[in-house]
This record gives sequence, structure tokens and C-alpha cells, in this order.
Amino acid sequence: MVSKPDISVKFCNLELESPYLLSSAPPTCTGEMIMRAFEAGWAGAVTKTIKPDKTPVYDLKNRFGVMGFETKQMILFENIEEVSKRPVGTWVNEIKEIKRKFPEKALIGSIMAECKEEDWEELARVVSEAGVDMLELNFGCPHGMPERGMGAFIGQRTELIQKLTKAAKRGSSVPVMVKLTPNVTDIAFTAKAAEEAGADAISAINTVLGLIGINIDTFEPIPTVDGMSTFGGLSGPGVKPIGLRCVAQIAQATNIPVSGIGGITTWKDAVEYLLVGAGSVQVCTAVMWRGYRIISDFVDGLTNYLADKGFSSVQEIIGKTLPRLTAWSKLNKDYTVVASINKDLCIKCGLCYVACRDGGYQAIKFEQGKSAEVDEEKCDACSLCTHLCPVPGCITWKKVTK
Amino acid sequence: MSGRVHTKTIPPHERVSSFAPYVSNLDDRLAVYEASRCLMCFDAPCISACPAGINIPEFIYRIKTGNFYGAAKVIRESNILGGECGYVCPVERLCESKCVRRNLNEEPVAISMLQRFAYEKEKLKGLVKFPKSRSKNKKVAVVGAGPAGLSAAYELARMGYGVTVFDANPKPGGLLLYGILPWKAPWSVPESEIDLIKEYGINFVTNKKITDLKSLLKEYDAVFVGIGATKSQKLGIPGEDLNGVYPAQEFLQSVAKWLMGEGKAPDLKGKRVAVIGGGDTAIDAACASVRLGAERVYIVYRRSFAEMPAVPYGRNQAREEGVEFLLLTAPVRILGEKSVEAIECVKMELTEPDSSGRRGVKPIKGSEFRLDVNSVIVAIGQKPDEELLKSYGVKTEKGLIVVDENFSTSIKGIFAGGDAVNGGETVVEAVAEGKKAAAAIDKFLSGGKSPKK
Ligand SMILES: Cc1cc2nc3c(=O)[nH]c(=O)nc-3n(C[C@H](O)[C@H](O)[C@H](O)COP(=O)(O)OP(=O)(O)OC[C@H]3O[C@@H](n4cnc5c(N)ncnc54)[C@H](O)[C@@H]3O)c2cc1C
Ligand SMILES: Cc1cc2nc3c(=O)[nH]c(=O)nc-3n(C[C@H](O)[C@H](O)[C@H](O)COP(=O)(O)O)c2cc1C
Ligand code: SF4
Repeated sequence: MVSKPDISVKFCNLELESPYLLSSAPPTCTGEMIMRAFEAGWAGAVTKTIKPDKTPVYDLKNRFGVMGFETKQMILFENIEEVSKRPVGTWVNEIKEIKRKFPEKALIGSIMAECKEEDWEELARVVSEAGVDMLELNFGCPHGMPERGMGAFIGQRTELIQKLTKAAKRGSSVPVMVKLTPNVTDIAFTAKAAEEAGADAISAINTVLGLIGINIDTFEPIPTVDGMSTFGGLSGPGVKPIGLRCVAQIAQATNIPVSGIGGITTWKDAVEYLLVGAGSVQVCTAVMWRGYRIISDFVDGLTNYLADKGFSSVQEIIGKTLPRLTAWSKLNKDYTVVASINKDLCIKCGLCYVACRDGGYQAIKFEQGKSAEVDEEKCDACSLCTHLCPVPGCITWKKVTK
Repeated sequence: MSGRVHTKTIPPHERVSSFAPYVSNLDDRLAVYEASRCLMCFDAPCISACPAGINIPEFIYRIKTGNFYGAAKVIRESNILGGECGYVCPVERLCESKCVRRNLNEEPVAISMLQRFAYEKEKLKGLVKFPKSRSKNKKVAVVGAGPAGLSAAYELARMGYGVTVFDANPKPGGLLLYGILPWKAPWSVPESEIDLIKEYGINFVTNKKITDLKSLLKEYDAVFVGIGATKSQKLGIPGEDLNGVYPAQEFLQSVAKWLMGEGKAPDLKGKRVAVIGGGDTAIDAACASVRLGAERVYIVYRRSFAEMPAVPYGRNQAREEGVEFLLLTAPVRILGEKSVEAIECVKMELTEPDSSGRRGVKPIKGSEFRLDVNSVIVAIGQKPDEELLKSYGVKTEKGLIVVDENFSTSIKGIFAGGDAVNGGETVVEAVAEGKKAAAAIDKFLSGGKSPKK
């Protein structure tokens, strides 16, 4: 038996027992909740975003919606929730209590204010002095707050990112992480702006602006507040590809640590984020759906994975896939394969045939009761059939030499 | 991967106190879930395995998307008794036996449960009615209002023919009402579908037994015969005329009539009953005997489980309800003074498979034993009424009406289908034959111009 892999990470100044943090969201709404999460085994938490007492904030009734697919009840989540309503003073007291009781856990204070430098500087000072280990600047909330010059309004403007990052850095006694919105043309660009302004780390992504659905019986958009709605922030399993892409882009474009967020539901999702360069990861929706308790499998699954793969530390996988992500134009145009169907595994459903006929290159031959067959002359190796096939490993690639 | 749904079932000891259905239907959530198990196979083998050729993946897909009425439409397009078939089809040897999910080592999609679900949804809105073609000024007579006759009548009426259906029973439906008992399908199901068929302007003449086809041909341009096979075959052993011996068909018909409020069912309370045979009818007769209060019920079958024609579903039902199986056992004679007192049985052994692959049986010498029973129900197959066929004058073989590939009998203008031709199959097979015969009749009456369906 090899020794148990080490899953602790160093992220900026933080010594984390595992890469797993709770992101700034409902699971981190109060000190009591955060402490329960720590007891369950989370390595750290980002507080629900704290704002100056003078900035009014409302909680709409209701504010969530979901999208399902086939047997999956939920694959996407939407919210139109604002930041924490609680007074700064309450947070200061609770931060002190958390740090007293859990000195070894990482506590990150998420903050947000209007576009005034002095407000950001002041809030950064108060929250950092309360005892958090790091600050996270919420430049990403895409609903509600931007209408009042906050959240994604800031994250979509590099001059504001830079001005307000600098202001927070002036006020803060601890490192500052900038949380970015994916609702921009090029997140590498906004990430670089934050780095230049002195950000110590970046976290991404905040939610993706969307409209989760319409109730076709009542014609009401979802979530419905007294018959009306607004565009909201998407999170959960369906946003993972966007998060992964953003984290990879940021990791490639900057030299500061990235905390990966977006649709992390199991340890496998976390591994993917680590592979594209995340130094820590944050989770919200999965915990809202299943509770703090999922941390035990997050930890155990990662540990077993590392052991199975022969790694001694999680640090060894961070960024491992990054060098394999390149420009489309740099991909090997001479690499040729064709699909190959394993006759013994084929269940004769014909799904690959329909897919290739109507969405591909008419390269599959099929007759009821017989195994499907690939016409290698016609196969363009687009891969559609391999994804439709219900049998794992039935359709594989065969190399051909030109 | 996802497992097949199982709905609530009333436990055996409770269900046998009534003849009511004991399996609950899918609710919306479970139906959508089960529907999403369908792979939507191309040229799906389940369709080929359905005698009516229902586009199964299409109707299941519509359930999946929440288009329940649309699902019912797909079913009704191919099977006018689609609701009834959702309840009574032996899907274990039809569509579900070919479901590709099985190739994944999973249970097949619960096609019949989904079909029932679609029917129940359809009923809430009114059963789907399709437009009729222009009137053709030609008349067709249909003899027998069982599934075969109903299906032929419906198809012909839709094509624009004037259709009159004659049936000897007081109500149309054939075995749907006078054979298949309500625990399989509540009678409201076939009744609703017969009401739908009536809406196509078909003339129903009940309590009318047709004995002469040639005179019908004088009045009508063509005749379809769907008289079923309602005469139970005899064992041909001594004692068969004793009191307490019932042919299965007559037995089940009297139970059905009693449940409808006509006449009496055989009094089996506290009795010991032996049902002879291994088909679905034997199972039904045994389960009906349990419900009539019989103390012990045996199924006496010559071969073993492997050869038993009854579907596993029914066999399980019987076993659950306390029916005892005496396999590799054949009756030699029925003993008794005036009424049945016992059966003398003999143990059988299987012989090597014959050229058709079916294994024969032969008695084991000296293995005779006595089985004390008060009643014997004979369920070893059925044939159409021999006398009747004689008076019809159509060519027969082994007691069944002979037809060609167009369902035409030996007499020009007279067509036939269903149990009277196939010797006793299924509701869906009868529907399918009625449908094909209707297409052939249309071709015949329009001088061969319309395409064969
Ligand atoms: C007990 C039992 C259980 C069964 N269970 C199932 C099941 O679960 N699933 C399944 O698919 N199949 C089942 N079957 C088989 C199924 O009922 C038949 O295959 C089907 O009903 C055949 O249809 P048909 O129209 O050919 O005949 P029938 O249903 O027998 O209808 C024939 C009709 O013709 C009428 N008729 C007869 N002679 C005359 C005449 N001279 N003049 C006027 N009318 C006449 C009769 O009154 C009757 O209404 C069962 C059969 C039995 C006996
Ligand atoms: C209901 C809800 C409220 C949120 N509130 C905040 C917030 O106050 N501040 C913030 O920075 N992010 C907020 N987020 C965004 C999450 O922290 C996270 O970035 C996003 O949900 C993507 O991660 P996930 O897919 O794991 O949920 C919120 C998300 C949800 C679902
Ligand atoms: S065979 Fe089974 S999985 Fe395939 S289409 Fe039919 S019901 Fe669906």
C-alpha cells in the first residue's frame, strides 16, 4: 500500500487542508452556517457578499428556477438573489467567532460596494480587520446589482476593475482575490486587468446571465415574482463547460492563482478544474442541492483518484492539462481516424445510424437485428455516433494512415 | 442507465376477494420517467413485434415530451383497440420481448404500462377520432363483433363503406366482454372503444346469430367473418360428461355474465378444482376459480414449465394466488358417480425434441395416481363451432376457416380473420387481421385499384 496522497494545497497565503471551499452564496449566509460547514469538513468558505450598510438590498420572493433534462430533474439552476442583507457589524462579530473557533480553516470575506473607491477601501479595511484570511471582490453578480453600478457592471469594465481593486488593496490588510463574471467577451482580458491592478488571485466564474424558462401555461417567466421576472444568474452542472473554459483562459493569461468555480458537483468536476490550472475550487449549487455532507465524498473521491493514478500530492495535477489546450489552428490536421463498431458489443438499436444519416456523413450501415457497420470511406470521424451509442466502449477509433 | 418502474400491486391474498384490476397505473411522473428509458431505436424491433405495428418509440417519445394526447393518437392510428391491448397484450412475447434495452442486460421498457397511461389520458379528453372518407355506396356485412370484426368494421367504415355488424351476443365485444375478466382490463376500456367505433356510423345488430352467409352476400357486396373460436376442445377421456366438468370458455363466459348480473357462476366455494391445460386460458380459469372461493386449485399440465404456452406474467399471478401446478401430469379418466369425485392422472416424461423443436411427452407406466377434486375445467384449446362452419360452406382445415394471403375464404366475397382463422391467438392479432382483411376487401370492391395495406 502506498501512503495516502496529500490533498492539501497552498493557495496564495492560505494553507488549505483540501482544495474545497464554499463559494460566496446561500450556504455561507451566516456564521452559524459556515461553522457547520467547517464541522462537516470544508477547508474554507467565502462569506456571502457583504455590502456597506447604506446600500439597500432586497430578497425577492421567490428567486430560484431550475432546468431539467429527461430523467434529470435539475441540470441548471438560476437565481435572482442579491448580496447579504446583514449589517457589516453582524458580519464582523461572526467572522471573529468563526476564526476563534476554527483558526485552521480558511475564511474569505466577499465584499461589494457601489462604484466609489472610498467605499471599497473602507469596506475592505473593516472586513479584513475583522480577521478574514483573504478578501474576494464580487465583480460578477449579473442580476440586480449591475442595475445599480455593482457586480458584473464592474466586472465588464476594465477601468473600474482596476480602480476598485486598487482601492480595496489600499484598505485591506490581507491578500485580495477578484471574482470575475463570465458575461464578457474575453475573460482573459478582464483577468489581466485585475492582475495588473495588484489582485493576488482570481476566482471565476460567477453566474452566467440567462433566462431559465417560461411557464407555458401561465406565460410567466421563471422565477416569477408577482407575475414578472428578470434575467438571472445560471449555475450548477450545466455551466461547468463555461467555468472550465474561463479558468483555463485565466490560468493561461495570468501568473496569479485561480480559484475555480462553476458547476462543480462531484470530485470529478473538481479534478477537471484542477487539471486546467485551478489552485482551489469553490462550490455553491451542489451544496444547495444536497447539503454540506457531500464534502466527505469530495475528499475521499479525490484521495482515491490520486492514489489510483499514482500521484502523491494533489499539487502534481494542478495545471496538468493546460499545455494541451492550444489554438485551433495548431491542431494536427494530418491526424486521421475512423469510427469502428465492436460487433460483439453492438445492441442493434440503430441510434448511431440515425445520427450519422441525419447529422453526419451517411457512413453507417444498419439493418434491424444486425450490428451496425461503418463505411470507412465515408466516415469523417466527426465522433457523433460515439456519443449517441448507449454502450460504453462499443464505438472506438481506428487509426488510418494516409 | 435506469431501471424499469414498477407500480403498486394489491397483494394476492387481498386481490382474490374481487375480480377488479390489482395493478395500478403509472402517474405522470413515472410515465415520463419510464418513457425516457426508451432508446428510440431505429427501425425498432418492438414495432416489428407488434402485430398492429404501432409506432412504439414515437408514442413513447410523445409521453416523454408531455404530449400525452399525441401519444394516444399514435396508438389509435394503428390499433383501434389500443387501450384494451395496453391492458391485455401478452407483451412478454410481443413488443417487450424484442426491446433493445434487454440487450443492455436491463429490463425492457414497460411498453404496455405506457400504452395504458396514454389511453387513460386520452379518455380524459375523449378518444381520438379520425376523419372518414367520402361514402362509397357499397355495403359490407361483418359477422362477429369481437376484436377481428370490430377492427374490420372500423377500417371499412373509415374508408366510406356502409357497414353492418351482426353478433349473436346481446353486446358487441366478443371475448373482450365474455372472456377476458376485469382484473386484466376493466370492461369500461373495451366499452369506451366500442363506443368510439360506433361513432363512425356502423350499424350494430346484436342478438343475431348468422347461420347462412350466402344469403348475406345477396344483400351485401362483401362479408367479413370474425366469429372467433368459442367451442372448447374436449379431452376425449371417460367421465367428461359428469356434473362438475366445465369447458373453460363456457366457464369463463358464465363468470363474466354473472359479474354483469346475468345468471349464475358455477358454485366453487370450498371446492377442489383441477384446470387441465397450460395456456393463458387455463391460467385465467384457475385464477377465476380462486376468486370464486375454491379451496384448492390445481393446474394439470402434460409438459413442463419450459413448454408452457402461458406467459410468465400469468403463471406468476396464478402461483401468487395459491394455484398449485401439477406438471408432467395428464388426466386419464374422470371418476365419479354423477358428479366429479376425482381424476385419475398419470405422470409424463419428456421425449426428444421433434423436427419442429418442440418436445413431446409420453406416460410413465405405473405412475397413475388419484387426485381428489370436485370440479374439472378443461382448457386445452378452442375451435369455432363445427356445425356453423358446415352451414357456412367455406373451406376448413383442422376445424379452422382457411384463407389466402388476402384473408379471402374459398367463397368469393367472403373474408375471414381472428380466432376463427388462427385458432385462438390474441386480441391484437385479431385486430391486425381485421385491418388487413378490410384493406383486402377494399381492394376487392374497388376492382383491385387501392393499394394493399
Ligand atoms: C379466457 C380468455 C382470456 C384471454 N385473454 C387474453 C389476453 O389477456 N390477451 C389477449 O390478447 N388475448 C386474450 N384472449 C384471446 C382473445 O380474446 C381472442 O384472441 C380474441 O378475442 C379473438 O377475437 P375474435 O374477434 O377473433 O373472436 P371473439 O372475441 O371470440 O369474437 C367473436 C364474436 O363473434 C360472435 N359470433 C360467433 N358466432 C356468431 C354467429 N354465428 N353469428 C353472429 N355472431 C357470432 C361472438 O358472439 C363473438 O362476439 C383470451 C381468450 C380467452 C378465452
Ligand atoms: C442563489 C445564489 C446566490 C449567489 N450569491 C452570490 C453572492 O452573493 N456573491 C457571489 O460572489 N456569488 C454569488 N453566487 C454565485 C456563486 O458563488 C457561484 O459563483 C456560482 O453559483 C457558480 O458556482 P456553482 O455552479 O457551484 O453554483 C450565488 C449563486 C447562487 C446560486
Ligand atoms: S425496442 Fe425498446 S428501447 Fe427500442 S424503441 Fe422499442 S421500446 Fe424503445
